[in-house]
Amino acid sequence: MKPEHWKQIEALYHAALEREPDARATFLDAACAGDEELRREVASLLHYDSLPDRLIDVPALEIAARELALAPLSGATAQSAIPARISSYQLLAPLGHGGMGEVHLALDTRLNRKVAIKLLPAEFTTQPERVRRFAQEARAASALNHPNIITIHEIGKTDSTHYLITEYVEGETLRQRMNNAPEKRLRLTEALDLAAQIAAALAAAHEAGIVHRDIKPENVMVRRDGIVKVLDFGLAKLTETQAPPEEAQSPLTDDASTETGLVLGTPRYMSPEQARGERVDARTDLFSFGVMLYEMIEGHSPFAGATTSELIAAILRDEPAQVPEASPELQRIIQRALQKERTERYQTIDELLADVKKLQKRLIVDAERDDSPAEHRLPLTPAVNLAPKAAGAKAAVVERAAQISSGLWLTGLRGWRLAWLILILPAFVLFGLWYRTTGKRSIESVAVLPFINDSGNADVEYLSDGMTESLINNLARLPNLRVMARNSVFRYKGRSAGPHEVARALGVEAIVTGRILLRGDNLIISVELVDGRDETQLWGEQYSSRTADLLAAQAQIAGEIATQLQLTLTPAEQQQLVKPETSSPQAYEYLLRGRHFQDKGGTEDWKKAIEYYQQAVTADPGYALAWAELSGSYFSLSYKGLYDQNECLAKARWAADRALELDERLAEAHLALARIRLTDWNWKATEQEIRRALELNPGLGRARFFYSAYLSLTGQHEQAIAEARRARAPDPLSLTANHNLAYRYLLARRNDQAIEASQALIELDQNYPNARAMLGHAYEAKGMYAEAIAAYQEAIRLGDQSTDIQIYLGSALAGAGEREKARTILKQLEANKYTSPGALTALYLALDERERAFAALERAYAAHDNQLQFLRVSPQLDPLRNDPRFIDLMRRVGLSP
Amino acid sequence: MPEPDPHEVTQLLLAWGHGDKSALDQLMPLVYGELRRLAQQHLRRERAGQSLQTTELIHEACLRLIDASQVRLENRRHFFGAASRLMRQVLTDLARERGSRKRGGAARQISLDEAMVVSRQRDEGLLALDEALTALAEFDARKCQVVELRFFGGLSVEETAEALAISVETVHRDWRLARSWLLRQLHGERPDEA
Repeated sequence: MKPEHWKQIEALYHAALEREPDARATFLDAACAGDEELRREVASLLHYDSLPDRLIDVPALEIAARELALAPLSGATAQSAIPARISSYQLLAPLGHGGMGEVHLALDTRLNRKVAIKLLPAEFTTQPERVRRFAQEARAASALNHPNIITIHEIGKTDSTHYLITEYVEGETLRQRMNNAPEKRLRLTEALDLAAQIAAALAAAHEAGIVHRDIKPENVMVRRDGIVKVLDFGLAKLTETQAPPEEAQSPLTDDASTETGLVLGTPRYMSPEQARGERVDARTDLFSFGVMLYEMIEGHSPFAGATTSELIAAILRDEPAQVPEASPELQRIIQRALQKERTERYQTIDELLADVKKLQKRLIVDAERDDSPAEHRLPLTPAVNLAPKAAGAKAAVVERAAQISSGLWLTGLRGWRLAWLILILPAFVLFGLWYRTTGKRSIESVAVLPFINDSGNADVEYLSDGMTESLINNLARLPNLRVMARNSVFRYKGRSAGPHEVARALGVEAIVTGRILLRGDNLIISVELVDGRDETQLWGEQYSSRTADLLAAQAQIAGEIATQLQLTLTPAEQQQLVKPETSSPQAYEYLLRGRHFQDKGGTEDWKKAIEYYQQAVTADPGYALAWAELSGSYFSLSYKGLYDQNECLAKARWAADRALELDERLAEAHLALARIRLTDWNWKATEQEIRRALELNPGLGRARFFYSAYLSLTGQHEQAIAEARRARAPDPLSLTANHNLAYRYLLARRNDQAIEASQALIELDQNYPNARAMLGHAYEAKGMYAEAIAAYQEAIRLGDQSTDIQIYLGSALAGAGEREKARTILKQLEANKYTSPGALTALYLALDERERAFAALERAYAAHDNQLQFLRVSPQLDPLRNDPRFIDLMRRVGLSP
Repeated sequence: MPEPDPHEVTQLLLAWGHGDKSALDQLMPLVYGELRRLAQQHLRRERAGQSLQTTELIHEACLRLIDASQVRLENRRHFFGAASRLMRQVLTDLARERGSRKRGGAARQISLDEAMVVSRQRDEGLLALDEALTALAEFDARKCQVVELRFFGGLSVEETAEALAISVETVHRDWRLARSWLLRQLHGERPDEA
């Protein structure tokens, strides 16, 4: 197009647009003066001016951002773009790629779960027969349903791509694990623990006639909780007919990387018969296993060779180097696995597994006797000296702590190890319990008293309280052991009472006491287990930041307790029990800080709690408990009419899902889900989840409170009150427990008891605003408006900033005849976008605005307002109960009238 | 991917601004990597319940990539231009790639998937738009830039004006005409309806 022609078009186009649409034709006729081509040109452009267009009217970036995020890491352009979706799987992020193709994290949109999707390279899948055999074998292995074998959900293909959908394992490969270990050597106990799990997986597969063929550290995933998942059963079948790389001169990288092609011939873990290209049987896996076990202990592989051919020669010819790090038993195990002739190896993986287990047991016994070789001694007694090798990390933490600036940061002050100590303390106590109860009088009940903070520094209070709570939670998971709930024991906080007295008062046999002392940079923790019947010390230990290599002890003690208790515990329970709740000491500290604020109960406190919980899950995204607590804080915040309810609940829901996904057996996670189900008005599911939470941890006080609330909201008042009383019984002085009971009375229309309970609550804490609000409700329900107004005003004075309290005040004012004041409050509330329409209904009714009350209820219904949970029981809604519209609304919310 | 060095990025932008075409080749991978990283971050946040703020993405990338101490307004402009052009490149590449894959494969069953159909239409539209835009640039480079910045770069009218050092009014007018012209290229002529 000629520039001057375009200029002309442009001028006419804009000039025409300035005119009304129906005047444009006339304008163009005149302006173009017979130039028909020009006129047509401009007119056709004008036609498109008003047409909406799906493509151009949405910034491409909206889509680009998603595509960019999902695009492969490597390319600077999008040459190797992958589809965003395969079948019903939405690809989320690349997880890695190796010889067997790219692996992505994906969302299974049908079941809304995370899965891993492996895209098999086309070159392996061109022969249908081979693919069929592979699929058959992979399915067979998966069908074993063994905890240490990864589950395959689906094997499928699109037009050109074969893919494999497996469970998504969050963790690292054994290769990564080894690379991260000092000198790439795993601790003996860890190596044996992992080896036993891998062997168990192989045993199950071999029994079913399935040979792995490609056992190597890249095919072993280690989850955060230490559980091993062996991957890629049968996958080697896809490649086995292909020879190792012919030009075997390419230098092998040190970490045996699995570049495409190399995987076919990564000979490092091959058995001699495999390297010779002979037919293999299950015993080939034993050899590969031996190589891997050797590498875990020694930090390098037993056969050395600069090139593939040299390496193969070494496998065929060389005796493996000695294992100087290993005990004679372990040497024997490795050597028997690494026999060149398969007839001379262990003949079955079961034999090997039995030897590994024997060795594990022996190590434990040795440790108890304290006479095993120094390297392998269990640091049960905190004797091993701690060299300050985490100095670098420590410096970084100190820096970070300085940035955060508030309070005292344990990790910042004393490095990682100490925080580890706190994490693993439950394991120590468990051990003490076990150790002293075998052969002695049995102990079936225990109470953990609040740890005493001897530091004279209130800043570390969160630490002493938090440790107590963690210990209770961990012990509570132990079957056949009754553990007093947090609420029961916290009344002893700050009180001096003898173990005998406490044990009798609480009806337990043993007492755990602890003290923490912060002296300069040094934190000392003393723990004691005392038999309450005769006050004898069953076990006691003192820890300080310089006395134990706790990381190592953690794994060892965990293994030990698991072994000792296996008669009474399922493997899953063992794992749960002895693994620390997080692998990150920092995350743990954040959690304790978050809880500290959560327990304070004000909205500002909850916001602070949220901040800490968020930091906790940032430090350890696999920290289920932190996600559950985060969910709870958002849930609490959603009720106050201070923030966007839906936003709070969306976040609460997301966090609850995460928690559950990470730990299905965590009571707090089920409690979090129960709360979400309540906001969904899914009453049945609410009950199911809360029951599940209580089943998993009957001592979880918050779950008891929530259960009583559920009973009361569904109109089961007597049970609700009974449950609330039960929840309060162990701790008559708890604010939360008393508030909960008062609420149950109120909703049961037992107004006098509600008043009594509220006044008791005020006596417990003059400054607790919720007590005043509760008192106000009860007075209002009795028609004592002046008293109600005074109580609400007091709540506001004490810091209740919620819009809810304004609503209550307004309705009490209206009841007292001060309608103008009530209307002023109503106006302010109506202007606030966070005011809950459901709560506002009460104020409309107090002002006799029945129709507006119904309109507000409908708005509340449309917005899925939390307040409608109270529909069945709220005294303020009583005037509406006979209206068919109200009955209909109840039905819609899933409540029977 | 290594952390891009803001100093290096700024230098490259300056060089590119002064007509050094090879600078763009070095710039692209850096910007691409940064954008990708940010996009992933945003996507994660989106899954956490926040919406994906796409213009934020570009601004964030700009902040991270450019050494503020040596940046003049001019460099920011180059940056936005580069980022927008890059978006255009990435998107059309992706669309082309998907298209060829579909045609290359047996293409069976795929049409059953509604999402695929929508995205295929979009892909084809994008490729046609890219072509039309190239044609537009031949006789009106500025309008092409306006479209790149707004459509591919996700910039607001005001930001586009700033990036091109023209008035807001001009951006409005340019966008309007360019949009009509591009749509006509895409959908064909509709003569004489005014």
